Amino acid sequence: MDINTLKEGRKLLTEYKYELGKLDKGYTDRSLYINISENKIDSKPVTQMMKDKFVGGKGFGLWYLWNGTTPTTKWNDPENEIIICGGPVCGITQYPGSGKSLVCSISPMTNIPIDSNVGGYFGPLLKFAGWDALELQGKAEKDIIIYIDGNKGVITIEEAPLEAIDSHVLAEQLTEMYADNEADKRNVSVVTAGTGAEHAKMGLLNFSLYDTRRKVTRFKQAGRGGIGRVFRDKKVKAIVVKFSGVKGNLNNPVDQAIINKAGIKMHKEMHNLDDKQNRMRKVGTGYSVEIMSAYDLLPVMNYQYGGHEDAKKIGPDILINNYLTQGLEDGCWYGCSMACAKTADNFELQTGPYKGQRVTVDGPEYETTAGVGSNCGIFDPRAILEINFYCDTYGIDTISFGTSTAFVMECYTRGIINKEITGGLDLKFGNFEASVELLHQMSRGEGFGVVVGQGIHQMKKIFSEEYGADPDFLFDIGMEQKGLEYSEYGSKESLAQQGGFGLTNKGPQHDEAWLIFMDMVNNQIPTFEDKAEALYYFPMFRTWFGLYGLCKLPWNDIVPEGNKYTSEPAKIPEHVQNYLDVVYGVTGKRLNTTDMVRESERVYNFQRIFNIRLGKGLRANDRVPYRSMGPVTKEEYESRQERYDGQLKEILGYDTEGKSTEEKMAVLRKHRENQYEKLIDAVYARRGWNSNGVPTLERLKDLGMDLPILVDVVKDLQ
Amino acid sequence: MIQIIKLNGRDFPWEAGMTVEDIMNKKNFIFPKIIVKINNQHIEVEDYPTTIVNDGDNVQMIHLLAGG
Amino acid sequence: MKYLAKDDSKCIQCGLCEEICSSTYFKTKDKAKSCILIANDGKPEINVCNQCGKCIDICPVEAIKRDKLGVVRINKKDCVGCFMCVGFCPENAMRQHDDYIEAFKCIACGLCAKKCPSGAIFIAEKDDSEAKERVCAD
Repeated sequence: MDINTLKEGRKLLTEYKYELGKLDKGYTDRSLYINISENKIDSKPVTQMMKDKFVGGKGFGLWYLWNGTTPTTKWNDPENEIIICGGPVCGITQYPGSGKSLVCSISPMTNIPIDSNVGGYFGPLLKFAGWDALELQGKAEKDIIIYIDGNKGVITIEEAPLEAIDSHVLAEQLTEMYADNEADKRNVSVVTAGTGAEHAKMGLLNFSLYDTRRKVTRFKQAGRGGIGRVFRDKKVKAIVVKFSGVKGNLNNPVDQAIINKAGIKMHKEMHNLDDKQNRMRKVGTGYSVEIMSAYDLLPVMNYQYGGHEDAKKIGPDILINNYLTQGLEDGCWYGCSMACAKTADNFELQTGPYKGQRVTVDGPEYETTAGVGSNCGIFDPRAILEINFYCDTYGIDTISFGTSTAFVMECYTRGIINKEITGGLDLKFGNFEASVELLHQMSRGEGFGVVVGQGIHQMKKIFSEEYGADPDFLFDIGMEQKGLEYSEYGSKESLAQQGGFGLTNKGPQHDEAWLIFMDMVNNQIPTFEDKAEALYYFPMFRTWFGLYGLCKLPWNDIVPEGNKYTSEPAKIPEHVQNYLDVVYGVTGKRLNTTDMVRESERVYNFQRIFNIRLGKGLRANDRVPYRSMGPVTKEEYESRQERYDGQLKEILGYDTEGKSTEEKMAVLRKHRENQYEKLIDAVYARRGWNSNGVPTLERLKDLGMDLPILVDVVKDLQ
Repeated sequence: MIQIIKLNGRDFPWEAGMTVEDIMNKKNFIFPKIIVKINNQHIEVEDYPTTIVNDGDNVQMIHLLAGG
Repeated sequence: MKYLAKDDSKCIQCGLCEEICSSTYFKTKDKAKSCILIANDGKPEINVCNQCGKCIDICPVEAIKRDKLGVVRINKKDCVGCFMCVGFCPENAMRQHDDYIEAFKCIACGLCAKKCPSGAIFIAEKDDSEAKERVCAD
């Protein structure tokens, strides 16, 4: 459909004019509030308190979300919000990975706050348009598009009945519509969801960037927790921002020189070392598929196994040689020399409504390859790329989709569900056609795909209540916690990582802590105290990226040459210092590593209490499925019999001679569940929480977070 | 009789003449960022094939990834 | 294609090239703002862009292009100041100074060659078929 026709279908609901802001030390000092029930647009001040206690990014997102909602707010209530916020460093162009936005909302999957970290140009351009954050509340009557013109200072809300919904079409339409010419396209960024997000709770948001070399609109995803579902439930088709005139100093930093120095040093490091280390510039995060398989960590067939001989078929060399375009500057924001946002270009689709079209597929990332690939027993790169594409354009999270599909495939294989229930889909492991059909069903809002789209938490209920499945067994094999599907690492043999998934705020996503090598391979954190320290430090450290608008990857997917001679190589001290320098450069704040962790800890505890306010966030909610901590089935035990038998003998002094697998499994399970409980005790203590997982008043006071609203929630739970 | 050395604090069967590279191959340690230390002395990558591990050595092969 | 050629052995480290370069482009006599740099410790070493064009592909906004003469130029208006070109230059010849938010480089204008008293630098042509393919119309 041509642009003029699309425009003719529009109906202006409201227009808001604003003074173009000026950035100071990384902040515009105001945020944009848009209520689409009332078509009301307003400017809110960003206060010093917000900056001191919440910094920005996810901190601001959670703060606004708390204030906009109540203890009874559900994901689809109009008062639920979607907040997009970059943070003070977001938008600088010298340091790799500085264009991230954090998106917060009450999640349809978990019914607690979700935060998702996403690249693309939207966050930086929103800031340069004059806004630290965008806070969206209410529900529109009909499909709308919100447009922010950051050069003219005009915001409109329009009914938009004719535009497409699927992201790859819609973002092209809107980029074309709002750009003055080809060169102007990179100044437009669009947030979209997709038709799948209208029916599946695991809906995501796509954040666009225009690729001037490929001449296509590309995406990065705010994938986790179903924010795309909230977006479409609010009847938002897209949010568009336009700002032309990006320069390297628009954040108006205190000390540009220190930022330049850190940035150029990193660019040189990337130039000199990436090829010898992770090859992020060539293959992106997909570099690690074969590695994970070699270390028994790659989820295979719903996390039953940790590796597969076919892993090489979906490994980095295959992707580099046959699919991923090489040699282009694939950063998801300017200045990212890690450039990991790879694409497969001219990929011809085999199925679905866009069959036969040649498209650009963003990815596949490691999580996607492992989730929709190995975890579902699919080891065909073309199949993975096709699912990847449809997940993105339909607005479906590849992690939740992969883990949920793996779950139904196991249920199908074990006869818990059958063809009658799946509507004829032969959902055995390895069946690409059945898997991609689930996606098309999510898009059309019909069939078993809609059931899978609700996620494992809902499916467990349906399968046991309606189809008579054993709820305990489903609990064991359903890889979700708090309602969110696990991301793609097997944690069975690493107690610390069981906590790394299980003791998170939003649900089992590895972005808080990935401790498997430290724990399982390196044996660096053998005691409960060691593990608890790691589960204190790393989640706090990593939360910090989300406060400032930063990406975590350049922290440790490249390491400087002398790193191994430092006192704590795992923390990459030189890179940590870079971040402290960059934050000083932008904001003028001189932080040390302790301050850094404290900044995160404030927001981390705030989020924990937010969970408690919504009736979760307690010890009971940190319980994990047994599949994440040990062998649920005989086959799993026997696949690692030597290891498990050895552990029973060495650790428990249990004589395995003449014992059946079932007997041994029961003893191992008791031991491992007990270990997890002990881990929880140690971690809670280290984080300053009581044995029920509630932050103590002393801890809150110590952190300067004894705000009355927080004390009110936790005082009776002390 | 099989001798035992310590690899990352755990027992590992040792054979005379074994090099750092042999151990890495045996363990399938293919991760690109590993720090190798023998008795707390760093071993450089180019020396993996020629560095002999002796009986009683304390070998560390630290995989540098605490992120994910 | 046109470039500034050099012969380190003829350089007498007088610094006139640096002076004329920074004076021409930044109206100041400041070595730190010169596109050509002469090592002033030990043996003479002339560091300057050879117009190889590796930076062209590194630039995220395609602000670096090769002109008709083969010279690699930065469009300052489009440059977003990320300095990736500085970090990725194989010759370490892409320049950056904290007074400016764009990188800068030798454009083989030849003014320094005219000043050079020893003939250590001179404008030359070289055939680089790979580079020629990437010549842009503008």
